[in-house]
Amino acid sequence: MSGSVTGGSVTGGTFTDGRPPREASGAGAVAISVAAVSKSRGAVRVLDDVSLAAAEGTVTAIVGASGSGKSTLLRCLNGLETFEAGGIAIAGHRLGPGPQPPQALERLRRDVGMVFQQFNLFPQLSTVDNVALAPRLVLGLSAAEARARGLELLERVGLGAHVRALPATLSGGQQQRVAIARALAMRPRVLLFDEPTSALDPAMAAEVTEVIVELARAGQTMVVVTHDHALAGRAASQVVELTAGRVAGRMPAAAGA
Amino acid sequence: MIAQVGGMRRRAVGAIILAAVVAAAAPAAELDTVVARGELVWAADQEGGGPHVFPDPESPDRLTGFEVELADLLATELGVKPRFQQGQWDRLPLLLGRSADCVINGFELTPQRRRDYRCSRPYFAYGLQLVARRDGPVDGFERMASAGARGAWRVGVLTGSAAEIAMRERTDLEVEVIGYDGTIDSLEQLRGGVLDAAVMDDCIFTFYADRFATLRAVGRPFAGGYYTVLTAPDTPRLAAAIDAAIGRLVADGRLKALFDRWDLAGRQQVLMLRDAAEIPAASRRGLADLARETLPLLLTAAGMTVLLSCLAFPLAVAVGLAVAVGRMYGPPAIRGLLTGYVEVLRGTPLLLQLYAIFFLLPKVGLALPAVVAAILGLALNYSAYESEIYRAGLRAVPPGQLEAGLALGLSKWQVVRHVLVPQAVRIVMPPVTSDFIALFKDTSVCSAITVVELTKRYSVLALSTGRIVELAVVTALLYLCMSWPLSLLSRWFERRLEQPADGAAEGGSQ
Repeated sequence: MSGSVTGGSVTGGTFTDGRPPREASGAGAVAISVAAVSKSRGAVRVLDDVSLAAAEGTVTAIVGASGSGKSTLLRCLNGLETFEAGGIAIAGHRLGPGPQPPQALERLRRDVGMVFQQFNLFPQLSTVDNVALAPRLVLGLSAAEARARGLELLERVGLGAHVRALPATLSGGQQQRVAIARALAMRPRVLLFDEPTSALDPAMAAEVTEVIVELARAGQTMVVVTHDHALAGRAASQVVELTAGRVAGRMPAAAGA
Repeated sequence: MIAQVGGMRRRAVGAIILAAVVAAAAPAAELDTVVARGELVWAADQEGGGPHVFPDPESPDRLTGFEVELADLLATELGVKPRFQQGQWDRLPLLLGRSADCVINGFELTPQRRRDYRCSRPYFAYGLQLVARRDGPVDGFERMASAGARGAWRVGVLTGSAAEIAMRERTDLEVEVIGYDGTIDSLEQLRGGVLDAAVMDDCIFTFYADRFATLRAVGRPFAGGYYTVLTAPDTPRLAAAIDAAIGRLVADGRLKALFDRWDLAGRQQVLMLRDAAEIPAASRRGLADLARETLPLLLTAAGMTVLLSCLAFPLAVAVGLAVAVGRMYGPPAIRGLLTGYVEVLRGTPLLLQLYAIFFLLPKVGLALPAVVAAILGLALNYSAYESEIYRAGLRAVPPGQLEAGLALGLSKWQVVRHVLVPQAVRIVMPPVTSDFIALFKDTSVCSAITVVELTKRYSVLALSTGRIVELAVVTALLYLCMSWPLSLLSRWFERRLEQPADGAAEGGSQ
């Protein structure tokens, strides 16, 4: 699990999990398309003409050294960051350069969930309330429906025994699994992961990896920014490597296996 | 009346206790001390107005009034120079023996004052005058025997004056007697429609009748009495010297000339002063009687203190939170506006804000009852402080929380409402709690706008019974009995907020 990608290359032999991506609705349809996206921060070109595409039901791993722009790219996918040139189509929504209207972003984010490196659970809410909040507020589910969905998802990530716990009382691995359940509660078409295992020790990272692999098997479209070889190797259908804001390599891993 | 604000002070019970203790400990300056010093320090309230003691309209740094001239004459008779000492009218006697040798400011000769201080022979005869609006319904006391269209008739008086005592004894009338710190305040509020009538010494209304042309004296003075110079109980020789001096001023015509200069009917005054009858001193109540008479009044006033804090603080918190959220997340124009709101309310004294709400709003047609004005003033003032606390709390929430909420598809305002505010509220619970206790004690400032809360009631009772120290102890105990449960309550609230916000708050769990 020590496999941070330092040299910018991922060996092909890593991706050996020979399952075919399960075809969800719109089998093979393009879920994500990033076209020539560029972004600068001051004089630094954070993203430089980045393009990629991902089909429904596939897992895209984005790898690269720290500062290569991989997290920035991910955060552009759900509009947490703006970009200056290019375009993004994701889950049927479009993002152009510059600030986007808040309502458009809200609609997009209903279909595009995100899991953060630092979990970002709501500390004042129990785990089940963390999961149930957005379905209730955004999808308009009743409190009972939202809670039922929360309980089911917590069960699915192996935390059925901790539904009333406050996040602070859980281990990092448990918190990250709650965060995944929280994102899944919106039934997103695409799920984004920003270094989901980097803040975790190896045993906890393994717990989280298991959940992500499980999701991949179930056909969830995902984009995972990671340093973690094991995670990328076990879950990814394609690997995109960024170096200094540019796409430095692509690996259509496990494509035909 | 804004000029009064400067002289107003917060009335902390502690300060009153201190005053009482100091007064009891240090002997008052006797005649020989005064002569050796070469100064007679006389106390009055220049905000009380004319014709007694008031700033000269032509040169406002100079005092004028018939009592200023009387003080000059008395000092000259004692062979010393007069020196003026400012104080709030109903508490002037507390200065005796501390920073003043005598009080010369329209203090009526009453049995209570005979009991608690040395009272000189009368120097002026006053009558109590009912004043009403020319176009108002009040045309005499008969009218006030039954309630008017707005309920009990609202009658303004000077707190602690003979007018107040007289009106509170009139059980035959359907009146609500409202005590003001200055007679001019009651005239302003009568003119503005807040009051239905006012009762004051006739010479005061005669003096101000032109300024308040829409008001009129109703009937002739219905009662009256005499002004006296107060001195400390342990200064018999000073008191005797002042008595003798007044006697000489009456006898040789200087007092008549003085009153004539002030258009106060000098000959009539001198005749009345010559024939003034002795007034017996009131007897001092035993402690049991004192408790029986004062405790119900103090408890009622304590109820007002609780009412003010418990209504004002939630309002302050709600407004403060809204202001903080607006400043953090609102559009730039709103942010600027709210920053101005906070700076104005934090940068001006609570007392001034209360004055503005109570005395100035009626001028633009918005006359609020004193209790409403008090709650509003306290809430607005504290909302500025609470908003700063909440702003700090919101800033203390990690930025990842906003991103996590947005990433779930929540709108910015949903994130603020359901994610950021609940966390900020928990973070700032301790300082907010301590502000609640602070507001609780600040309610005493509201007595400046006629609200009778605990400190005001104490002050009135202490002066009328002469039991300054005993009642101060009782009052302080009452404050403690109230603030301690408040502390417990907020600590309990604090603990509760540290639990998960489940159930009703977020609707997601049982």
